[in-house]
Amino acid sequence: MASPASSVAGAGETALTVVLVGNPNVGKSSLFTALAGVPTRVGNYPGVTVERKVGRFTHGGRAIDLVDLPGVYGLVPRSPDEQAAVDALAGRVPGMAPPDCAVVVADATNLERNLYLASQVLGLGVPVVVALTQSDVATAEGITIDHALLAARLGCPVVPVVAPTRHGIPALASAIVAAAAGPAPSPPGGLEALASTAGPEHSPAAREAIARYAWIERQLVGVVTRRPPAGAAATRRIDELLTHPLSGTLAFVLAMLAMFSSIYWLAAPLMDGIEAGVAALGGAVRGLLPEGPIASLLVDGILAGAGSVVVFVPQIALLFAFVALLESSGYLARAAFLMDRLLAGVGLSGRSFIPLLSSFACAIPGIMATRSIENRRDRLLTIMLAPLMSCSARLPVYLLFCGAFVPDRAVGLPFIRLPALVLLGLYALGVVVAAAVAWLLTQTVLGRSRQPFVMELPRWRWPLPGVVLRRVAEAAGSFLHNAGTLIMAVSVVIWALTTYPRDEAAIDAEVAARRGALERRIAAGGEPAAPAAELARLDTPAGLAAARRGAAQRQSFLGRAGRLVEPLVRPLGWDWRIGCAVLASFPAREVVLGTLGVLYDLGDGDDAEGGLAARLHAATWDDTGRPVFTLPVALSIMVFFALCAQCASTLVVIGRETGSAVWPVVSFLSMTLLAWVAAWLTFTVASGLVGG
Amino acid sequence: MESLDQVAIGGATRVTRVDGDDPAACRLLELGLTPGVEVRVVRRAPLGDPVELELRGYRLSIRRTEARRVTVTAPR
Repeated sequence: MASPASSVAGAGETALTVVLVGNPNVGKSSLFTALAGVPTRVGNYPGVTVERKVGRFTHGGRAIDLVDLPGVYGLVPRSPDEQAAVDALAGRVPGMAPPDCAVVVADATNLERNLYLASQVLGLGVPVVVALTQSDVATAEGITIDHALLAARLGCPVVPVVAPTRHGIPALASAIVAAAAGPAPSPPGGLEALASTAGPEHSPAAREAIARYAWIERQLVGVVTRRPPAGAAATRRIDELLTHPLSGTLAFVLAMLAMFSSIYWLAAPLMDGIEAGVAALGGAVRGLLPEGPIASLLVDGILAGAGSVVVFVPQIALLFAFVALLESSGYLARAAFLMDRLLAGVGLSGRSFIPLLSSFACAIPGIMATRSIENRRDRLLTIMLAPLMSCSARLPVYLLFCGAFVPDRAVGLPFIRLPALVLLGLYALGVVVAAAVAWLLTQTVLGRSRQPFVMELPRWRWPLPGVVLRRVAEAAGSFLHNAGTLIMAVSVVIWALTTYPRDEAAIDAEVAARRGALERRIAAGGEPAAPAAELARLDTPAGLAAARRGAAQRQSFLGRAGRLVEPLVRPLGWDWRIGCAVLASFPAREVVLGTLGVLYDLGDGDDAEGGLAARLHAATWDDTGRPVFTLPVALSIMVFFALCAQCASTLVVIGRETGSAVWPVVSFLSMTLLAWVAAWLTFTVASGLVGG
Repeated sequence: MESLDQVAIGGATRVTRVDGDDPAACRLLELGLTPGVEVRVVRRAPLGDPVELELRGYRLSIRRTEARRVTVTAPR
């Protein structure tokens, strides 16, 4: 019985090194999990960002190191994936022993094409075992495979497996141990003779492929028999319905709508629940501890940080449930097929559609969903574009500023309102800029995709609930485990920067100075109503508490940083407080509203949304007393938020998913620059038009 | 002689040649689109590209740019 274990290993004999090699999407990962459990090590092959997954298990007292090779269609090294697979099979990877056995993972429902890779592995001089995945599906589809005959033809063991139910897994483990002790199979015979039958008009590559497929066809004579499966007619009807130009497109729109609304709206109550729970927990902790730095660290730093991590889990779980459903039913590839043309124009493929669409809800699950993009370049480009889609965290910012500063005027028709048009424009801005960035990167750094967009369209299948649940658990777990700690650390650091240094005397002095300034303005005459209202606010306990809280934050490291960056944000029409709020929103965009509230002395008693809008309307420049927030300033803030990278969680996930610290930095710098330039243009043009 | 992108939907055909020996051509060959193989054009995506093929007992999607490089003839 194969069992995941680590402590038993290495008693006397050294561990066997076994590699899993197979075409993409044949169930290699599921087989890896079934054999070795959770990988003990996940790293990269030296020099390239090709994931190397290693796990250890024991079988019959023998320790086995299982290495998952990248999914490839052949062993001609043209891509980093293929190079890594070839190097690992040849024992040329530093720090990895040459394989004692290669397990070729082949899809039983698509044996002919899967054996192409097997024919190449058989010629390497390494013991081989063929694992036939999807054997249950093959049976259900009326495909019968004579395993013994196939094993005799190939000269190596052939083991049918069903990874989710562990059927055939012990037999596979036994076959691996036995094969590793024996000789390597002889290479496919007669390939040269077969190649020579192909005419001279074909390229050497074509002649090799002709020869190998001719060899495969010969091996499969009498091995595979097909009879029409029981549900063939039903499958064909489903296929016709789901791929018909009209009903298929309708089904696609409905499926995408269901997916998008579930991550956008269905996740919202769950996220609200998490936030409420974290707030309640924070209140309880505050009740237990005396007011002071420890309580603040625990509640505002650590608990809030943990909350900001956990709050992403509903969206990630829902999106991955959808992706897993679509993938295991065979629809994911169909969706890519439908949308390919749309994305080909900007140098991407249909595979990028779902990750980019999801990014309108949140870039984090969107970026994680790029795992289903096989092409490395396309995946990287999609990751870089995902944060430009306007996510749900931007919406509160848009809604506040559109509602408070964009005049509610009809444009053309009475029901087309200006604020709604501005909102639409902000969403469009992200898409247009993403398309421009994709085009630019394709023309320069990344180049056109060197690999053609070819994609297997799998058969329709009923998704297995177990598989879907495992995918959801894996995605949520890997996010909490890999990204969670770092996101929490960022939150705690930002908390410290907004809390310290704290000098009560200086806070008193600032409030007193403010009172003095207001009194002088009233004494000077002019329009005394606004200063008088402000002064009256300062005399209420809530107004005073708000003023003190604002003063503390203005004097913190963050406040000082805000003053430091003021020359940078002045061209955007912002005062240093807006600069502060933008800096403080680095952990998450929506934080900007809370910070603006504190900085503009929003009190606990004030109505959260209307109150903030009123405080912003009342805000004046320190020197001139003119209002800070005008239409051009509001537009410039919104445009900045549409394009900026103020989301530490996204940057952390970009780092994790690309396996490199370079891409988050590139992403942050380029998006910030883009956001600044666009906000400056917006402010300049809008000021010119409306006179700001 | 026509190329695979010109084959009518639903039409069966036989590959006679795959142009070039660059990565794109090699990938098509590896996937079983070899001279001599019988291919059926199942459908085109609603936006006109890519095309869905059936060959060697499975379904494959390729773009028209790739399909253009595959020369085909009516099956005997």
